Amino acid sequence: MSIEDIRVLTSQLAADPSSLVFLPLGEALRRRGQLEAAEKIALAGLTRYPDLADAHDLLARVLGDQGDLERAFDEWDIALRLDPRHAGAHKGIGFLFYVAGDLPKALEHLESAHAADPGAEGVAAAVARVREALALPALASAPAAGATPPVAAEPEPLPPPLPGGRAVFAGLEGAQDGLLLLDGNGLRIGGGLSAPDGTAVGDAVAAHLAGVFRDATRAARLLHLGSWTSVAGETTDANLFLCAPTPESLLLLVRDNSVPIGRLALQAERAAEAARRWLEGAA
Amino acid sequence: MRLDIVGSLESITRVRGVRGAMIVSAEEGLVVAESSMEGIDGAAVAALTAGVVARLGRATEAAGRTAPAFVHLQAERGALLAVPAPGDLLVVAVTDAAVNVGLVRLELRRAAEHLA
Amino acid sequence: MRVIEPWVAEPLERFLAESAARVVLLTTSSGQVVAQHGFTRALDVMSASALGAAIMASTEELGRLTASGASRSLSHQGPSRGLFLSAFDLPQGRWIGLVVYDRDSSLGLVRLFFDRLVGELQAVAPAEVPAREVLAADFENELNASLRSLFGR
Repeated sequence: MSIEDIRVLTSQLAADPSSLVFLPLGEALRRRGQLEAAEKIALAGLTRYPDLADAHDLLARVLGDQGDLERAFDEWDIALRLDPRHAGAHKGIGFLFYVAGDLPKALEHLESAHAADPGAEGVAAAVARVREALALPALASAPAAGATPPVAAEPEPLPPPLPGGRAVFAGLEGAQDGLLLLDGNGLRIGGGLSAPDGTAVGDAVAAHLAGVFRDATRAARLLHLGSWTSVAGETTDANLFLCAPTPESLLLLVRDNSVPIGRLALQAERAAEAARRWLEGAA
Repeated sequence: MRLDIVGSLESITRVRGVRGAMIVSAEEGLVVAESSMEGIDGAAVAALTAGVVARLGRATEAAGRTAPAFVHLQAERGALLAVPAPGDLLVVAVTDAAVNVGLVRLELRRAAEHLA
Repeated sequence: MRVIEPWVAEPLERFLAESAARVVLLTTSSGQVVAQHGFTRALDVMSASALGAAIMASTEELGRLTASGASRSLSHQGPSRGLFLSAFDLPQGRWIGLVVYDRDSSLGLVRLFFDRLVGELQAVAPAEVPAREVLAADFENELNASLRSLFGR
C-alpha cells in the first residue's frame, strides 16, 4: 500500500471516525513498520468496536511486531472468544505456541486457521512443518477442502550438491538413506533417512537430534567429562551412531543391528571426514 | 530385592574403569539406588543421563524405530552408559574414558534383568 | 522473561536455558511476584502466585502441626506437564519458585538446575534490606506495580 493510499485512508477516518477504515489503515501502518501509529489507530478503533474480533487481531499483530507477545496473546485470545473461527487469531496464537515450544497446541490452532481460511498465507506450510516436528503423518485428516497434500509422504529433497556437483556422502554406503548431516538447529543439510516402512523421516529425526546434541553437550560439561565425542544407541532393529564432524554440525549413521557399533564408529569416522570436506567446500 | 539391586550395582562397579553405577527413574530423572558414586553428583548423573536417553528415544521414535536398548555417550574424560529396565527405570554407569564398554554393557543388562 | 529485581535476571535466564522449563514464577512468601517467564496473562500470574504462596504456607504449617518437618519442595506430575514448587531463603526473606515443565525436561533436571538457581541467587542477592511495615494498600499497589512491570502495562 502506497503512502498516497494511507493518506486517503487517514482522511476517510478523519471524516468518519466511526468508519471501519481503521482496520486497513492500521494494517498498512504496521506493514510499513510505523508501529506506534498503528497501535494508536488499533486502540482508537477498539474504543468504538470493543467486540470486533478483527480489531483485536490488528492490535495483536502490532503488539507482536513490537515484541510484546504476552499482550499479543491476550488480544488474539479475546478475538477467539468473540469469533472462535477467526483465522488470523488462530494463526497468531499458533505461532506463539510454536515459539514457546508447545507444538501440540501450535498445531491445534494452525489447523483451525487452515480450516477457517485454507488460502491463508503460509498456514499450510506451517501446519506441515509442525506435524513433521511432532513426527505425525502430515494432515492425516485434512481439515478442509484445498488442504495441501501430505508432506511426509513426499520424498525428501536431495541434499544440496557441492559447487562441483558432489553430494555430501557421495561414494559412501547409505549416502541417501542412513546417513544424515544436520546443523545445530536441527535442520538437515545433507543425506537422508527412511523409516522401515519407507517413509522419509530425515527432517523429523534431525529436529529431534538437535536436542540430543544439546543434552549430550550439557551432560558432558556438567559432569566434567570434557567434550562429548559420540553417542551410540542400539534398538531392537537398528544401531545408530552420532558424532559432531564440526562444532556446528551433527552426523547420524543408522544401520541394521547386524552391523556392530564398533564398525558403525569406523563408518561414521569416514562419513564425518566427508562431511568436513563438504562443509569446507560449501563455506 | 534391595540386596539384589545393590549386588547388581556392585557387579557393575567391579568392572575396571567404572566410577559408579545407579538405578534411575527414566521419566523423572531421579536416583533410585546408587553404588560407589564418590566424587560424582548422583542427582546430576541421573537427571542428565535420563535426559539424553529420553531425547534419543524421541529421535528413534521419529525414525520409526524402537526405543534404545543401550545408550553410550562417550566424552574425552569419561562415558555414560545406560540400559533401560522394567518399571520405567534405567541402569546407568559412569566410567573413565578407557573402559571395556562391552563388559559394562553386559553387567548393565544383567542388572536390568534383575529388576524384572 | 520479566523480572522486578534486576539481579535475578541472569541466574533465571541460565535456569531457563538449562532446565528447559516452560513456566517459571518467583514470588515472595506473601505472593508478591519477583519474576515470571511463560505466563501469558496477568490474571494467571496473580492466581498462581497466590496459590503457590498458600500451598507452601499450608505445607509448612502442616509440617509444624505434625512435627514431621515438612519438605520445602513439592512436585506433581500430570499427564503431559509437571509442576515443581519450592521455598528457599534469601537475605530478602523466604521466596517461592513455581516451575512448570513438560517432556522436554524432567523433575530431576528441574530440581538439579533449581538448586543451582537458588545457589546463584544467594550469591548475588543484595544484603538484607530493613523490613518495613506493609499496609494492605501498599501491598495492593506493589502487586499492581509488579504486574505492570511484568506485563508492560
